[in-house]
Amino acid sequence: MAEAIQKKLKAEVEKYAQMQKDVSKSMSARQKLETQLTENNIVKEELDLLDSTNTVYKLIGPVLVKQDLDEAKATVTKRLEYINGEIQRYETVLKDMEKKSEQHREVLSSLQQEFQRAQGLAVGKV
Amino acid sequence: MAEKGKMNIERLGGVARLREENEKVVKDCESRIQHWQKVSGDYEALNKRLKTLPDQLSYDIMVPFGPLAFIPGKLVHTNEVTALLGDNWFAKCSAKQAQKVVDHRMKYVKHELEDLSKTMKNFEARVGLAKDLETISSSKGDYVDIREDTGNSDTPVTKGKQRIAHKPNSMPKMDAVLDLKEENEGESGDGGSRNGTLTEEELWARLDELEKLEELQDEQDRLSDNADMNGEDTSSMSSEEEKEGDASPPVNGLKPGWTARPHSKAPPSADRKAGEDDEEEQEEGSCLPTIFFSHTIEPKKVRINTGKNTMLKFSERKEQKEHSKRKKKNGHSHHELHKITTPVDIYRLFVDVKNGEPVPRKSILKSRSRENSVCSDTSESSAADFEERRVIGRSFSHDEATHSDTSDGITEEDSPTAVPLHPASRFEAFSGTVVEKDPMPSAIPHLTIALPALPTIPERKQEEVASDVPPPHQAPKRVSKFKAARLQQV
Repeated sequence: MAEAIQKKLKAEVEKYAQMQKDVSKSMSARQKLETQLTENNIVKEELDLLDSTNTVYKLIGPVLVKQDLDEAKATVTKRLEYINGEIQRYETVLKDMEKKSEQHREVLSSLQQEFQRAQGLAVGKV
Repeated sequence: MAEKGKMNIERLGGVARLREENEKVVKDCESRIQHWQKVSGDYEALNKRLKTLPDQLSYDIMVPFGPLAFIPGKLVHTNEVTALLGDNWFAKCSAKQAQKVVDHRMKYVKHELEDLSKTMKNFEARVGLAKDLETISSSKGDYVDIREDTGNSDTPVTKGKQRIAHKPNSMPKMDAVLDLKEENEGESGDGGSRNGTLTEEELWARLDELEKLEELQDEQDRLSDNADMNGEDTSSMSSEEEKEGDASPPVNGLKPGWTARPHSKAPPSADRKAGEDDEEEQEEGSCLPTIFFSHTIEPKKVRINTGKNTMLKFSERKEQKEHSKRKKKNGHSHHELHKITTPVDIYRLFVDVKNGEPVPRKSILKSRSRENSVCSDTSESSAADFEERRVIGRSFSHDEATHSDTSDGITEEDSPTAVPLHPASRFEAFSGTVVEKDPMPSAIPHLTIALPALPTIPERKQEEVASDVPPPHQAPKRVSKFKAARLQQV
């Protein structure tokens, strides 16, 4: 009886660990997106400041490709929107993961209690 | 206490961890701030460079050539700068424009720096708090965790009711007072730092209680300073003592005016006081609703007591009594008169000197106390009588008043005859209701003759029994005296 519970407990613990990893992954991805967001904001501001006299280049690999100012502006804006969307998506995913992890935690704790009880019984028996 | 200790340890651990976490955050903040400061420095340098760059058309420089070599070269197009806008975007712009970009970035960096410094301050404060908590929980600091276990709310409340107050109107108060006291002391018995643990309400209740007791004492002092409403006095005093005795001894500083406890435990200093002490101690020991009283009339020598006799509930009053006693004894009272510590003293000031002794002014109030109203019999009123009565504990009237009064009242005659009785009566257990002779005595200075027909108090009965002969003899006398006094006044 105790062994069965132990096995269950282990399985649950593994699941919980997995959940935690996923959560952390999502978290880090979200943080990246956040930095990109800020950066793109700065770029947008700078581009607004620039006038058409200066050329804008985009770095693609080792190559600096000339870009039109307006095009650049548009691209940056689009990117910004994209980043925002991504962040939103990640947020929802994180929430779901949190809920699931909570559930797992509860299951774990109940299992632990059972296990302890069983152990206590076993000790008593012994 | 073991649990408390355990909790302390746990708390200590928790607090330590909290402190560590807070310190971590602080360190993190510090590192970030350093980083940003570096960045800011870099930007400053860049700014300078950009300023000076367009000064010359071209510069001769050593160009880095690979990782290990340099090659002489020229820096041309000094005004053209390709600036990284972020996210792999570049913009070609003049030096000035580049400067603008740099300025922008500087702004951003500064903003970040400020935020970081703020958070660092916050967390530093938290660290300090955690440290304080640590010291507190480990009881190393000056702060003490104040705790109050309110597990004694079920202490018997009836103790107060057992005790019978002399003053009917004050009885409920007394009860409440006693109850509160019981609760207080019950609770206070739990821990050391109790002084601060009483709730506000309890404190207020306590204050009320003390107030009432003071009032009671005031009345008592006023009414029976000299004349002893024998039983009443003793009973009141003893009952009060009993009340205090009932309460558990360790009442800490919350009883500012209650010197009784320590006093009551103090070694008796005088005979009568000794008798009283014995009584009191007996009462204390028994904690029963028995009221012992003694009509002992202190021998004069006993009167010279320090203020620390067990009867003294409020040392001040005792001192006053003793002062008055001494006064009567010695006849010099004036110097004592001027020592006003209670309202009672004021009353004493109003004294006429007759026959070389201060005679209290006659009161128009009726009182059945034996302390008589202004009486011309000051001569008769032996100081002993007064003192006896006073000693018995109830000071109904002012010293002077009682002086003269006692001469009138039964107490005078009673006292000598009562002396032999007192020892006998002293140890009589008086259980039952000690009904005040009437509400007046407590409320009104007893300047009138106490009629012998107030037998409600058994003490009185005893007295009367003892002085059977005198009372009837006195009664007419008293009346006459009273009348005489009144006539005098008129």
